[in-house]
Amino acid sequence: MKVRKDLYEKKIRRQYLVLILTLLFTLLTLIFGSLYFRFYRLELVKQAEAHTYDKYFVMITDNYKTDFWQSVYEGALEKARESDIYVDLLGMNLSRDYSCEELMKIATASKVDGIMVCADESSSMTALINDAVSNGIPVVTLYGDNTHSDRLSFVGIGGYSVGKMYAKQIINIIKDARREKLFGDEGIEENRKVQVAVLANADTKDAGQNIIISAIQDTISEENVTDAEFDVSIVTVDNTNAFSVEESIRDIFLNEDVPDVIVCLNELNTTCTYQAVVDFNKVGEVNVLGYYDSSEIVKAIDRGGVYATISIDTRQLGEYSVSALLDYYEFGNTSEYYLADVTLIDRSNVADFLKKEALDE
Amino acid sequence: MNKFLNSPLQTKIISACVLANITIFIVNLFLIVGINSMSKDMEMVYESNRSLNELSVALNMVQDSMTEYLSSKTSESLENYYINAQKFKDLTDDLGDKVTDFSFNRMERNIKYMSGEYLEQVEQTIEAKRGRNVEKYRAYYESSTDLFENIQSYITSLNLELFVINSEDFITLIQTFRTFEIIGVVVMTFVMIGNVIIITSFVKAMIMPLRSLADSANEIADGDFDVTLPSVSYSDEVGIVIGAFNKMIVSIKDYIEQLKVSMANERYMQEKELMMEAHLKDAQLRYLQAQINPHFLFNTLNAGAQLAMMEGADRTYEYVQTVADFFRYNVKNQKDAVTLREEVTLVDNYIHILNVRFSGDIGYEKQVDERLLDHKMPSMILQPIVENAVNHGIREMAGDGRIVLRVYRQDKDVCISVKDNGKGISNETIEKILSGDYVSDENAYDNNGIGMDNVIKRLRLFVGYEDVLRIFSEGEGKGCEVVIRLPLEGAKNVQSDDR
Repeated sequence: MKVRKDLYEKKIRRQYLVLILTLLFTLLTLIFGSLYFRFYRLELVKQAEAHTYDKYFVMITDNYKTDFWQSVYEGALEKARESDIYVDLLGMNLSRDYSCEELMKIATASKVDGIMVCADESSSMTALINDAVSNGIPVVTLYGDNTHSDRLSFVGIGGYSVGKMYAKQIINIIKDARREKLFGDEGIEENRKVQVAVLANADTKDAGQNIIISAIQDTISEENVTDAEFDVSIVTVDNTNAFSVEESIRDIFLNEDVPDVIVCLNELNTTCTYQAVVDFNKVGEVNVLGYYDSSEIVKAIDRGGVYATISIDTRQLGEYSVSALLDYYEFGNTSEYYLADVTLIDRSNVADFLKKEALDE
Repeated sequence: MNKFLNSPLQTKIISACVLANITIFIVNLFLIVGINSMSKDMEMVYESNRSLNELSVALNMVQDSMTEYLSSKTSESLENYYINAQKFKDLTDDLGDKVTDFSFNRMERNIKYMSGEYLEQVEQTIEAKRGRNVEKYRAYYESSTDLFENIQSYITSLNLELFVINSEDFITLIQTFRTFEIIGVVVMTFVMIGNVIIITSFVKAMIMPLRSLADSANEIADGDFDVTLPSVSYSDEVGIVIGAFNKMIVSIKDYIEQLKVSMANERYMQEKELMMEAHLKDAQLRYLQAQINPHFLFNTLNAGAQLAMMEGADRTYEYVQTVADFFRYNVKNQKDAVTLREEVTLVDNYIHILNVRFSGDIGYEKQVDERLLDHKMPSMILQPIVENAVNHGIREMAGDGRIVLRVYRQDKDVCISVKDNGKGISNETIEKILSGDYVSDENAYDNNGIGMDNVIKRLRLFVGYEDVLRIFSEGEGKGCEVVIRLPLEGAKNVQSDDR
């Protein structure tokens, strides 16, 4: 009899336990649901928050799309981020293409904390650089200098040493030619000069280009090579509009007298020349001395389409430009010249580069 | 909790429903708040684009009003310019100037600073125009127009970029909305299940006391009053009903107990009464017996008998001896029960005495079953009956009076019949005698003191039922028969009981 009462009590207690548990469960479901949703949304909102940088530098180039400048930019950005600075490759996000001058104006008006500009020796550029400096913005010229301006420093490559490298390669080619003459059937063909063509941009404002050319000439003549054996000519390439470079290079091959050695002084020229050599079936006859180590060019060396190319440490270039600006902010002054390392790539060491590239990828 | 449990059933049921509704309401509230915040987000998705467009419009207006002023130099255009410039400035002030990993932040910053520069240039242009410095305002106009175009292009680019980002956000938002929908449905489902469980358990908890009450009621209906009474858990209506039920059961139980006790009491009282009556009768009997205990007479008679024997008067001796035996019987039989044989012998003696007294007037006949003579019966029964038969029946009939004594067995009874051929008795008198209302003449002549009334009562007490003695008479002058029926079995029992 007592048992029944206990059973009843137990039952009713169980009922209340169920009630409380269910209430708790409902409450928990609600709380859990809303919390889950809250976190889910917070996750979405979080994406909009990002690190805020202390300073803002911009890099201004004539063509931001090339591997060369992208690589420089990456080097600069990496270096800058260490010091809580953001570097923008100006023009990248804009809907239309701007020239260096226009971008300089934008940068100055935007009151950035530092400008790295691929300048030339034009007076308008000088004025723009001076204008920026007068507005309190330090300017570093990158790769192309403007010596007359109030720029802080120049970061680039040693044009003279590049010229020397090219010259050595040209001499090697000449020596090869001589050897061929010795072992080949002599007398039939006239003693022919080795034709060297240096592709120079039409706007000769680029001082670096001139230095390279003169360095080539100096070096070749210093080596004991008779004038009879080579002939250096400068072929101007029209780079005034977007597609003219390719056309002018093809023009060279359409001439009767195709040069034996073509020296290219920028990435686009190299790529175009290599393509022309392949298209005109001149591989082996025309030796291309390239510029920059884009994967295309390195592959061309591997295949023999390009004799040699120089590799510029683009990341170093970017890093130097940022450190020049940083030095200015830290010490008020900085060194006037920063030169990035340059290495030669030919068939002997192309394998290493290919490997490196494969690793990078 | 207890306060709630003690509240009325109505409150409880209403609370359960209200609780369920409130839960659903809260869930709905959550859902609505969620939907609201999301729809707000959706509204805000393209907000940045809208504000940029506003900025672009303001910029255009500044440029237009400046151009208008430069061309017409009206005060209205100047005023317009100031208004527009202020508006544009306010808008650009709202722009952020943070440099982050996001290009749109940086573009915003650039637009902000360029706009500042632009406004300065425009201001200078206006100043130069006012100062009529043609050279200067031309130059400023050109540079400010350049800037204007650059800003416009920046805004367009930023607009595009923001549009892409916002579109992505919009898609994410829509996905979030879908997720929210699913979560909402899941939560609603869970809450609904929870509600159902809550109400079920609620109702169960409320009904449970009722059910136990019903069980108890059923058991009681089956006659089991020893059932456990359901406990009054809470003082709601069910609790009150249970309490009342319990009280009712307890009082019914008590009532039954009382009834039992009073019935037992009554029985006891009856028994007691009967006993008292029996004792009274016993006392009366003893008293009556004491009346007819003439020791002295008996001894005297004995002496007379011896004298008669010494004188040689045999008949006298015999007579006196018979009388002595007759009285000895009275002295000897102090006990209640005697054998039928002794009673019959007493009747024999009595008739003998009477016959001597009245010189053989009474014809006496005996038809006795010898086997029944050892049967027990109360003493002093037959003699008074015979005496009655003689006194009231045949006394005046001289020599014709006859008395027949019969002892026989009928069914399971021993029957003793005393029959006379005297004057008989009327039915009324029979009735009176049997009911005990007959008043006999106590001081009647020649009476040994024991009346019919006493005989009947003693017989009835002995056998335990009324119908022990019957008197038959066929009317005046046709004689009378008295029949005593003693149970063959019962008498033996009585006999064994008695001693």
